[in-house]
Amino acid sequence: MNNTIVWVVVALLAIGGLWWLATSGSGGTPVQTEGPFKIGVIAPLTGDGAIYGEPMRNVLVIAAEELNAMDAATTDDIELVIEDGKCDGTGGASAAQKLVNVDKVQAILGGFCSGETIPSVPIAAAGKVVLFSPSASSPALTGISPYFFRNYPSDSKQGEVLADVANKKGYKTIAFLTEQTDYATGLYNSFKTSFEALGGTVTNEEFPTANTDFRSTITKVKAAAPDAVFISTQTPQAAERILKQMSELGYKPQLFVSDVTMGEPELLMKNKALLEGAIGAEFVPDTANAKLSALMAKYKAKYGKDMPYIGYMSTTYDAAYAIVDGIKAVGYSGEALAAWSRTIANWEGASGATTIGANGDRVSGHKAEIVKDGKATLLTL
Amino acid sequence: MEVIIQIALNALVAGSIYALITLGFNLLYSTTRFFDLSYGAIAAVGGYIVYCLYNLLGLNLYAAIVLGILGAGALGFSCEKLIYRQLRARKASSAVLLIASLGVLLVIQSALAILFTSQFHIITRDLSAERVFTIFGGTITEVQAIIFLSAITIMLALGALLKFTRFGKAVQAIADDEEVANVVGINSEKMIGIVYFIGAAIAGAAGIATAFDTGIMPTLGLAILLKGVIAAIVGGIGNVVGGVLGAFVLAAIENTGAWFFSAEWRDVIAFLVLIAFLLLRPRGILPK
Repeated sequence: MNNTIVWVVVALLAIGGLWWLATSGSGGTPVQTEGPFKIGVIAPLTGDGAIYGEPMRNVLVIAAEELNAMDAATTDDIELVIEDGKCDGTGGASAAQKLVNVDKVQAILGGFCSGETIPSVPIAAAGKVVLFSPSASSPALTGISPYFFRNYPSDSKQGEVLADVANKKGYKTIAFLTEQTDYATGLYNSFKTSFEALGGTVTNEEFPTANTDFRSTITKVKAAAPDAVFISTQTPQAAERILKQMSELGYKPQLFVSDVTMGEPELLMKNKALLEGAIGAEFVPDTANAKLSALMAKYKAKYGKDMPYIGYMSTTYDAAYAIVDGIKAVGYSGEALAAWSRTIANWEGASGATTIGANGDRVSGHKAEIVKDGKATLLTL
Repeated sequence: MEVIIQIALNALVAGSIYALITLGFNLLYSTTRFFDLSYGAIAAVGGYIVYCLYNLLGLNLYAAIVLGILGAGALGFSCEKLIYRQLRARKASSAVLLIASLGVLLVIQSALAILFTSQFHIITRDLSAERVFTIFGGTITEVQAIIFLSAITIMLALGALLKFTRFGKAVQAIADDEEVANVVGINSEKMIGIVYFIGAAIAGAAGIATAFDTGIMPTLGLAILLKGVIAAIVGGIGNVVGGVLGAFVLAAIENTGAWFFSAEWRDVIAFLVLIAFLLLRPRGILPK
């Protein structure tokens, strides 16, 4: 008798759940045509990641205020629903669950961290909600779902940009010194794939993070006389050790360095003699960009401090504007916005011109740079 | 040809640092018969003292080096006096001493990380001002040459000290049998204290050399200690010249290996050499 009741309850729950699932997607509800439109946000608001989440929220609030102040003919009003993704998998997944199933948003901005974004993707895709990250850079997100896109370039983009530069400079052989970490070997792999497709040859000397004596490895590379040497390390310190030992061995090849070295102004200045002419690629928005400088001024006026992480915040700001443009163009529907995301081309914003590729990644973004007199400056070929 | 010379020079530089570590380790081990894990951390302290005094506080380089060596020696002496001697007085086994030294290693490592962060630090001098010598197409810097000469000098001095002085004879006697040494009137506690000071000071010199050469971090101690121990086993535990020879043999094999294979195999090669010696020639190239 008891068993029967249990089974009836289970059956009712299952049917109810199925009915709820079937109607919770965009197919079941009519498309909302007038604002304010709910935009979900997944940002790390607590824990260590809060140092990113707080400015992200601040920038989105600025963008929403600006958008809502504009007249209805040019834009639609939006309402932000901000959830804490905690910069980790579980936090990201529960934030996405709530936004998709309870708030029933059609578009989510975020997550900030790759860790909170990756598990959110299948949840958003199942609910036919578009997920638009302004900052998650893991190569694992490339082409992960038609419902996911990002206006921050993948870490692997760096390798492609630099392979192109090496090819244009006429280099045929590149020797890599690669630290055995996901980031550094990922950069090597993306460079190798692109450079070999362009007809070049890449050799690789891998070393564990604990290794500090590179002399015989450098001697080996020197004897092979490649056109250029690529130092792909996880941290600037490891790159510095290699540079010092290269200089002691009297080896001054054309150098390529990763963005961890390029993005460390102190290191560049300290080793300017060794790094003169070294080429790298970084995602750096142009601070002369009028939209970016206006945002920075507004942030300072509103929150009383300088806007941190200019690269990430410029893409965050753009994300809010771009999604509203999308809603204006194709309506408030996750499915339509997902298709629209792949048509974004040369969209001008605070982070420069954004183009989204078929795999959902920002196409351009990493800019080739060259070290001149201890400073990273844009490379013109 | 140039490549062979360069690899030989690279091995000479790496071998000099291994040799310094081995010299101190051999002295301590053959006298006290216990495997002191904290020895590596004391080496790192020597490097950090010089980094702190010279790079952060701007003290004269030579003064900083002398203070670094004396500081490491004093730390080794204090560890012996405050911890190891107390344990030996209670007839602690060498396993207890080993675990105690692991504790000391962890305390020193953590203290260094708190004071100086876990990041790598290199004692920096103006690189462009440094003289580079070219020998048959291979290059060696002034600092590296000094490290090599120091290793050889310390080896000769230590060898002479142990062989020709009363102190050396007393240390030999303690190494052979501590109780009998006490019976004939040798103050073994005092002698072991001095041995600890000298051994730790040599470790400090090795740490300073490492800091100049490749840089230091708090956890470096154990890594360089292991290389020193391998060199000691290859050369012959307790043999001053053998240890130095073992250090250069190890460095030569490692650097040749880095040429034929990849840098990632470096440590694998070092430990294969260790296993080969333990199996085939456990008493080393020059047994005591």
